[in-house]
Amino acid sequence: MSDQTKSWLDSRLPLAACFRAQVCDKPLPANRPYLSALGTLITGTLIFLMLSGAVLSAYYVASDHGAYNSIQFIMRNVNDGWLIRSFHATGTTMLFAAVYLAIFHALITGAYRLPGELVWGLKLAFLLLMMLVGYLGYAMQDGAVSHWSLHDVTLAGAGLSSFPGNISNWVLGGPAGHGTLGHVAMMHGLLTFIALGVLVLHYYAKQAVAPVAKKTVPLHPYYTSHHFVAVSVYVLLFAVLVFFAPHLGENPLNAAPANPLLVPAVMTPPWYLLPAAAVTHALPGTEGGIVAFFAAFAVLFAMPWLDRSDPRSEPGFLYKLLVVILGLDVIALGMTAAAGPSTINAILMIIFIGWYFLHFLVLTPLVTARESK
Amino acid sequence: MKLGISAAALLAAFLAFGSAAYAEDTLSPLHWQSQGTFGSYDQAALQRGFLVYQTACASCHSANALHYRDLTALGLTTEQVADITASIKLDNRPATLDDRLISALPKSQAAAAFGGAVPPDLSNIVAARPKGTEYIYNLLTGYQAPPADVTLMAKHYYNAAYPGNQIAMPAPLTDNAVTYADGTKATTAQEASDVAAFLTWASDPNLDARKQIGLRAVIFLIFLTLLAIATKRKIWRDVA
Repeated sequence: MSDQTKSWLDSRLPLAACFRAQVCDKPLPANRPYLSALGTLITGTLIFLMLSGAVLSAYYVASDHGAYNSIQFIMRNVNDGWLIRSFHATGTTMLFAAVYLAIFHALITGAYRLPGELVWGLKLAFLLLMMLVGYLGYAMQDGAVSHWSLHDVTLAGAGLSSFPGNISNWVLGGPAGHGTLGHVAMMHGLLTFIALGVLVLHYYAKQAVAPVAKKTVPLHPYYTSHHFVAVSVYVLLFAVLVFFAPHLGENPLNAAPANPLLVPAVMTPPWYLLPAAAVTHALPGTEGGIVAFFAAFAVLFAMPWLDRSDPRSEPGFLYKLLVVILGLDVIALGMTAAAGPSTINAILMIIFIGWYFLHFLVLTPLVTARESK
Repeated sequence: MKLGISAAALLAAFLAFGSAAYAEDTLSPLHWQSQGTFGSYDQAALQRGFLVYQTACASCHSANALHYRDLTALGLTTEQVADITASIKLDNRPATLDDRLISALPKSQAAAAFGGAVPPDLSNIVAARPKGTEYIYNLLTGYQAPPADVTLMAKHYYNAAYPGNQIAMPAPLTDNAVTYADGTKATTAQEASDVAAFLTWASDPNLDARKQIGLRAVIFLIFLTLLAIATKRKIWRDVA
């Protein structure tokens, strides 16, 4: 580009100057842990999933007879189709691992407290959207398990007669049938773009409330090299899973085609949906499951106000210990959902869900109020 | 330096884990070479397994996702596969390389013969069962006389490996059901092991390519990570 063209473009559309100021020279705190790269990793993974998903969508057929067979076609007949699908499936695993870690990190460091309440809320909104997108992607496979799971979920939508209109009709365009998978696939893609928008909002909200750092360094080359390390380690883990454990956390029974006459005994979803699946089974009935699921998210959204401590104080030891126990509680809850229905599991599930709500509604206000004194 | 050592240890652990998993497999009496981190398919076993599949399974079961041309991955030449397809009859014509592996009997006829149970398609059966390779082997060698307290349903057989123990498929394998070209003794256990290997390949035909690319990718990424760590340390040296 000649100097003349360059100066003309800079005077009309100062992209280069903007890039220099907003990216290259942007001042950032000189001391930040590697976990601060989680935002970069999550955004990068989401974009990676959108690209691999776009390639897969060229071959995926959203219909009763087409879905399973088109995935077999991708796995066997499309050049490197198996690799692209492994990227997409394992990318989902990596994304959820990073998002759960980010939520846990925000909980244990108290990052959700004022003035970070909106940043926290956007994190949760992203998790909620990703759970929906992840579920829809799982349903798109139309395997022996996900077919029946989608059947239950669409019935649940139809059962919400107390809502204005009919959610099932609204979402699926009519009774579950030939068009259902098309709607599922469409929403799987659409919600991903909304989730990307939420990430952008989260980025700006976080900048607005970030504490002023005493010492700063420019983004490049300091943060580029810092995040290069985090990205390399993350991609290394990603590659190990893609090539040596491509079906990690999936229910093998779902690799069989859907059988409309045979309901599987255990309807285990992928690992990242297990705790949510357990919660939806906590209360009886369709409405009960939906109420429990949204209640579990509501207490998370309410964290900035359930925490009674001074927002500027360091979270106390007992509080941090409780957050670790909560993490273990959620993992145990997921394991009860994976183990399938039994009396002992039903009891354990209620205990673990009970602890979850006890943690947020009783223990957090009590402990934070006491520890900040 | 410390990070460099830990990354080198990570590489060593990865390689050691892989070879340990592989070594363990070879010691077991029931071993499939494809198992373990770096295991690859044993083409001789796959070819024997296809012979068993064609003799004992294909009259009732399909493997719809596979085409005959895919069999070249078992180490057969296109001419050898063409010889195989020439002997397979499909509706008054011989099969071609581009035909799918359908069952000889229509599904409804096979089901009518076996008490209404529709024989499942076998393309993905190993992927679709927990520990699928072992499951196929155990199922095919799991036929037994029923215990005294079990009353079998009509047209059902007792099988120790099948969920519920009552299966509509009669025992498909017997000793010497096939004659192996490579002289391997065709015991029921050998046939079961070979057809389990074949069906494992049918479920996951890209296993060899996946692990080969994977090993190179992981080694490359370990070195990339080491470089990234060194770069970061050099750039950040002056920042306290």
